[in-house]
Amino acid sequence: MTTPRSNIYQTNVYRKSSDDIWNCLTCGLCYDGCPQGVDYPEFVKEEREGKQQGDLVHKGVFTLLSDLMADLKESKTNLAESGNNDSKIGYYPGCLDFHDMFFDLDVDFKSIADSSMKLLEKMDMSAKMLQLKCCGHDQLWQGDTETFEKLKEQNTKLIKESGIETLVTSCAECYRTLSMDYDLPCEVVHISQLLKNADLGIDSNTDVTCHDACRLGRHMGEYDAPREALSSAGATVTEMAHSKNESWCCGVSTMMSCNDRSKALRKARLDEAKDTEAKVLITSCPKCLAHLNCMKTEQESVENYEFDIKDLTVFLAEQLGGK
Amino acid sequence: MSDFEPDILTFCCNWCSYAGADLAGVSRLQYPTNSRVIRVMCSSRVEPIHILEALKEGTDGILVTGCHIGDCHYIEGNIHTDERMKEIVDALEHLGLRDRLHLEWVSAAEGKKFQETITDFVEKIRALGPNPLKNNKKEE
Repeated sequence: MTTPRSNIYQTNVYRKSSDDIWNCLTCGLCYDGCPQGVDYPEFVKEEREGKQQGDLVHKGVFTLLSDLMADLKESKTNLAESGNNDSKIGYYPGCLDFHDMFFDLDVDFKSIADSSMKLLEKMDMSAKMLQLKCCGHDQLWQGDTETFEKLKEQNTKLIKESGIETLVTSCAECYRTLSMDYDLPCEVVHISQLLKNADLGIDSNTDVTCHDACRLGRHMGEYDAPREALSSAGATVTEMAHSKNESWCCGVSTMMSCNDRSKALRKARLDEAKDTEAKVLITSCPKCLAHLNCMKTEQESVENYEFDIKDLTVFLAEQLGGK
Repeated sequence: MSDFEPDILTFCCNWCSYAGADLAGVSRLQYPTNSRVIRVMCSSRVEPIHILEALKEGTDGILVTGCHIGDCHYIEGNIHTDERMKEIVDALEHLGLRDRLHLEWVSAAEGKKFQETITDFVEKIRALGPNPLKNNKKEE
């Protein structure tokens, strides 16, 4: 494996493409530390375009699912239709319902959508659940721009037809993709950005720690919103050794390279969370949630991680209880 | 669409259904020729990715056959198959391809059942029409 610098050099000077472009986690930790501000993830994204994909996790079943979705007209990531249909606010659940489809992960991903809807309602922003397809984030970063464009076109059309003005998403990847790679006529917000100003009337008094999703944090520059949302809900946020712009990645952001190296990264991340002695590890991206939880389960026999890993919305909605 | 002949992919487990298919053959039972058999050592070998890939390539229907519950050569392989098929059915439901997958237990002694399963499934798929993904390919 080589360094980003030599990789860029080899590609630009000698036109040599190496397998290293598939090793990059595209988490953006490098450009945050680069004095020249070189956008390595963007370089990797462009280099990957149209090439044979590297090692996809779970043999690419999720990628294949979205590929099929792009080709099938009537397919949707449809969670139960709910919400206020006349609302100008749309909630986009993303591919939440697919994450635990093929595995026995002890995480209820659909509850993220329910919790988000509940929280939006509580904030007097009752939303319409949008019935869209996958946002295409993984396809884009896996170099399959053709499928991405198809998904983008179909989703943009559906969003325009729905006539919403604000698109709320609870997924860091959807947030990045919809706001940076799509060209939408409406405003795109991550749910944490709404929650930070909201008065939910809860005083949870729990010790939590916050894992910054790379898409929400370094890609979109939103570090404070989840923390403010948590502290306004009464939770005490203890930072991990690496937090905010130095935050470590869960390692599988594009459904790629779940290997020994990224597993070591996840293990180290869980150790950091353990050191904070927090009760709950909060993430704002379902993929971090899935992969950190997977690691936690895998380590159960040797390590005792006493904290729970939860999505921000699920955590807040639980505190909300029957209120 | 009278000239539509469905392409069916049949996964047979080595120990029961494949022998069942053999029995159907040696008993000279007649059934449609639309299906292609792939022999796997156990029905639990069939992964979601195989089914999705087959659909992507334009297969009209997929039939997964294995030993009856309790008869599995590997003791509990088909229990895993059963669980796994429920998950893949969920996925197909989202894609609108729910009816294109069928799971059936066929033992080595059930040549007749193998014949009936294939015949019924082919007729069901014929009524359903071609896989929409196949059409996409042709348009391109």
